[in-house]
Amino acid sequence: MLSDIKVSCSPHISGPLSTRRVMVDVIVALLFPMAAAGYYFRIHAVILIGTCVVSCAAAEWLCCAIRRKPSTLDDFSAVVTGILLALSLPPRIPAWAAVVGSVFAIAIGKMVFGGLGANVFNPAMVGRAFLTASFGMLMTTWTTPATLDPNMSRIDRGNIIAAREHVIRGRTQATPLAWSKMAIKRRLGGETYDDQFFAATVTGEVGGCLGETSAIALLMGGAYLLIRRTIGFHIPLAVLLSAFVFAGAAYLKDSWTYVHPFFHLTSGGLLLGAFFIATDPVTAPLTRRGMWIFGLGVGTLTMLIRIVGEYPEGVMYAVLLMNAVTPLIDRLFRSVPVGGKPNV
Amino acid sequence: MRLGIVRSRSFRGGTHAAQKKELTREKPIEPGPAVGEVAVMLSQHIGSTCRPVVKKQDKVSAGQAVGECDAFVCAPVHSPVNGVVREVALRSHAVLGRSMAVVIQPDPQENPPKLPAAEMFAPDFDEEAYSPEQICDAVLRAGIVGMGGAGFPTRVKIEPDPRFPKDTMIINGCECEPYITCDYRIMLEWTGRIAAGIKLAKRAAGCSRVLVGIEDNKPDAIDALRAALEAGGIRNGIEVLAVRTKYPQGGERQLIKAILGKNVPAGGIPPMIGVVVLNVATAAAIAEAVVCGRPLTHRVVTVTGEAIARPGNYYVAIGTSVRELIEFCGSVTEKSAKVVLGGPMMGIAVADLETPITKTTGAITVLTAEQIGKAKFERRRTACIRCGRCLQVCPESLNPTRIAHAVKSNLIDEAERNYMAACIECGCCSYVCPANIELTGYIKTGKIFLARQKKRMPQ
Ligand code: SF4
Ligand code: SF4
Repeated sequence: MLSDIKVSCSPHISGPLSTRRVMVDVIVALLFPMAAAGYYFRIHAVILIGTCVVSCAAAEWLCCAIRRKPSTLDDFSAVVTGILLALSLPPRIPAWAAVVGSVFAIAIGKMVFGGLGANVFNPAMVGRAFLTASFGMLMTTWTTPATLDPNMSRIDRGNIIAAREHVIRGRTQATPLAWSKMAIKRRLGGETYDDQFFAATVTGEVGGCLGETSAIALLMGGAYLLIRRTIGFHIPLAVLLSAFVFAGAAYLKDSWTYVHPFFHLTSGGLLLGAFFIATDPVTAPLTRRGMWIFGLGVGTLTMLIRIVGEYPEGVMYAVLLMNAVTPLIDRLFRSVPVGGKPNV
Repeated sequence: MRLGIVRSRSFRGGTHAAQKKELTREKPIEPGPAVGEVAVMLSQHIGSTCRPVVKKQDKVSAGQAVGECDAFVCAPVHSPVNGVVREVALRSHAVLGRSMAVVIQPDPQENPPKLPAAEMFAPDFDEEAYSPEQICDAVLRAGIVGMGGAGFPTRVKIEPDPRFPKDTMIINGCECEPYITCDYRIMLEWTGRIAAGIKLAKRAAGCSRVLVGIEDNKPDAIDALRAALEAGGIRNGIEVLAVRTKYPQGGERQLIKAILGKNVPAGGIPPMIGVVVLNVATAAAIAEAVVCGRPLTHRVVTVTGEAIARPGNYYVAIGTSVRELIEFCGSVTEKSAKVVLGGPMMGIAVADLETPITKTTGAITVLTAEQIGKAKFERRRTACIRCGRCLQVCPESLNPTRIAHAVKSNLIDEAERNYMAACIECGCCSYVCPANIELTGYIKTGKIFLARQKKRMPQ
């Protein structure tokens, strides 16, 4: 007969999901863009991802040790942060800068708030913002994909105009967005953007941050997360839809100056942001309606920065800004109890 | 219906937990053990506790009332056996911790329980032979309470109340909890009895229509009840409906939403919108009480779980101890297990195997050590990652993580403001939480806290 009777509160069974499983799912989905990064940027991808993951994990372990708390490494959230940070950095950024960014992301972006679940801002984006603010030059130095130039030479700003010829021939350097911005500024016009260029942004054979170039790999990773129900479709859909509408409106108004909305969707960090960064549960709203608003905000702000603002790219700032208003969204869009009114 | 797609009747939220009903769904109801002792709890329902009306050494006969009460919200309790009162003493109670019980030693010649003849509840059963007052009176005297789990005295529910006129009666045959099959078995085997009970309850409550809701994973039960209720001639306002299989479809608020599309006010009760909900087992008990004059002394209990050697559905004397039932089912196959009164989602784990069965115990589920290992309290807990899953599954659309964290920080008023009282304790939020937070546990704790604070106020 029974010698050991357990008691606990109901429910006595539980679903299969755990925090670690959520994180591992994200890592698995990130394998797609990581593979694309490896294909286009070869050894640089390996070095950068390795550096970021290891230093994020080390930073997390250290912070836990300092706080005399059990290590939280086994929830794998630090690994996710490391990969996301690596994927959003220029491929040939020096390793020391990657380490600095990683440590900042974990220590300031996450652990000072109290660790996983308590941080207000997406840690990877905090790390990236710190690097952008401190080492602007490093953060805008791009690399030609290995498939175009086996030397993977660095591209500096001066090259952009010289690269126009390449662009027209479908060989792109710098980032597509930087290119389009430049084209607008110098009144080169939208004609420089053609189908070959678009195709390059889909496959990823363009300059850009390590993991953002290949739209197809990002879409595959996003689809995996959606199928596994690790993320809801609300945020990605809201981000992409609002970005598309905004870019579409600009395009309709002046199709010579502004590039086609599809181009905006496939290039830059929009897909990476929509599927992997804006969907970070910790820093996004809790309710479905809140998620819609959050996604709309990220998409619109990104496009506002890209089209109206000074910078060619705006996903990072858009996400960070929306992270900041997430508590507000949570207040405004509370869940309404069945048969009742929202609480005050 | 919308866009040509038939929306299956359901509610928002909920989970699809593993059903596990196959362990006992094909097992016909069998007589339970002839026991060495029954402990009839004096509090088996919501409302006032009964006072014992027998004392030590008294002889009692089967069906004799041993506990009575004059309060309005109360139900008497009866002896299930012929025997002698051994004592009136404290026994472990699944909900109350400890409570007084009348402990009866059955006559050695006592036979296993017999069911009333099925012929008494023929398909052409005529409820008009009984007046509404007669029915209410019989239900009161038989001590019938809601047998689905809550245990609210049935007489109070069905008696016409001028404050809340009732026009619709909903009969709950969902049985959405995993593992449990007692209601399913009685729907198949006691169809006539349930049909008669439904007609009687309808007459007593004066409802114009009755809607029977059964989950669509029990098509045979739906067919059986449909046939039984329609065989008695015209439908006379009684309809059997299939509702979607989803936990907690059997929650009365969720069932009302699924069937009528109406929400009961938050923290309110169904009569506020003119609805009364009865469980199928309660309907069967009403029929037995009114037609045979038989008090509620036995019920069908599903003894199940992976750790039980011979799971099955048994007709058991109320007051039988959990231990005797488990031993009757070939004991437990493991050394370490969790014994749950009820199903795994809402049931209560007991530490004392001498805890007696009450009128509301539909099942004993014994979970194995391995299953326990997978449950929340054994698994690694992380901080809330704010994934929002608990909000999405909550059938009452609450914010479980907010309430739970308020309780955790001792902010009971904050929890109250977030509708803690509207939580039906279904367990969905804990079930899905990836951070393994015992959200339901915190919320239950908060409710107890609040009740205690309120009690302390001067009277
Ligand atoms: S908060 Fe209450 S009603 Fe909502 S899912 Fe949790 S236990 Fe169920
Ligand atoms: S399900 Fe758990 S982790 Fe997710 S929001 Fe609710 S409490 Fe937090």
